[in-house]
Amino acid sequence: MTPPAAPPPDPAPYSIPSLGYRILAGGARLVPLLVGLVGLPVAALTLLQSHGISLPVSIVTVTVAGVAISVLSTVRYIVRPTRAYGPVSVATSGVTLAYVLVLLTQSTYRISVPGSTVSIALGYARLLDLILLVPALALVAGLVTTVEDIVAPRERLPFDYPP
Amino acid sequence: MVPRARKPPGLYRLARWFRRLSLVVLIVLILFLASVGYSAVELVKSSPQSGGYSAGFGANDTVAVTGSLSLSNPGFYPVSGFSLNLRIQNASGTLLGNLAEGPETLPAHTTTVFPIALYLPITPNGPAASLLTTDQNLVLGVWGNATFAYLFPVSLHFDENKSWGAPFAEFLVQPGSPTTANGTTTVPVTVSFSNHASFAEVGMLEVVLLSSDGTACGAGGFSLNVLPSGFYYQTQAIDLASGCSLQDGSAEAAYTGSGATIPLPPEALP
Repeated sequence: MTPPAAPPPDPAPYSIPSLGYRILAGGARLVPLLVGLVGLPVAALTLLQSHGISLPVSIVTVTVAGVAISVLSTVRYIVRPTRAYGPVSVATSGVTLAYVLVLLTQSTYRISVPGSTVSIALGYARLLDLILLVPALALVAGLVTTVEDIVAPRERLPFDYPP
Repeated sequence: MVPRARKPPGLYRLARWFRRLSLVVLIVLILFLASVGYSAVELVKSSPQSGGYSAGFGANDTVAVTGSLSLSNPGFYPVSGFSLNLRIQNASGTLLGNLAEGPETLPAHTTTVFPIALYLPITPNGPAASLLTTDQNLVLGVWGNATFAYLFPVSLHFDENKSWGAPFAEFLVQPGSPTTANGTTTVPVTVSFSNHASFAEVGMLEVVLLSSDGTACGAGGFSLNVLPSGFYYQTQAIDLASGCSLQDGSAEAAYTGSGATIPLPPEALP
């Protein structure tokens, strides 16, 4: 009696792009991130400043936080196949959370219109409270991924990078 | 036989669920902010319309400024807790009167009209008494508070200078030389003023002449029909009480018309 043939080995269950490709694609993602998180806010703040209107938050804060979040987000994309993905995701969300909390401490914007007696105060603390949900949920996701990578390394790769 | 796709492990699905929830919250907030921005622009474009303002004498020794303020909210979100406070001060900072409206809710896609009625008390020696006889610049302070789109408390303040034209500007009571005939002393009294107000003065002006110790020496009534920007000048003989002197005396006048009696500030006689 002939023993049953052994099953053929599984083909590679996932297909991870090369590091060079991920760096290139990550760099391409960095551009719109910098435009959205740094370029547009700084342009808006500069416009206000040029009209003599006080700023709700300093340009330095927006630039530093925007660059940090954009770079961390890019790094997270590049290291996604590795065990560093979870911790970098947590770091990205943590920095975003800290940035929103800084904005929350200055969440009443007082504007005095130059050349007039008009003064306006706009509060947006409740909106920032809701925005806090976004990085908070992403932070939990990063923690879960970190745990998953410790408990079962490479388990997620077939689903993150299907063949 | 079609192979079944492998089910992702539990931790992977949990992390994915949190990531997707985070993304959904972000998208919902972006859409919400976009609609709030649109609504705010529409609200600002439909600037408040004030109309039908008129000033006149009100009951209880007041000057009444009445009118209406129309606010349109063409956006998607209500303006809740809208309240408006107006305060009128004279140039030296003395409070003459104030007004509070609201709080009201302006629902989306509606126009709300607020009646405005501001009463400035002009009792003799009161802070607003000078409005009757002195042109002046008034400072109108406006405070508005509201919450827009459930999340955004907004407050607004501005000051505006308004020029006030007095209805009895340069009011003057001028007695002439008294004459005595048949035991009665009579003095010709000339009353003059300009009406710088935006309303006509139709009625009677009762003038009482007082001696230096405040004793009433005589009184007379002057008929008024003075249009805005009009000038009034009339002389009338008034009988004086026996032995009463107008030396260093004063005159008190009260205007009666439009259902109100308005005392004017006392005038020293020249």
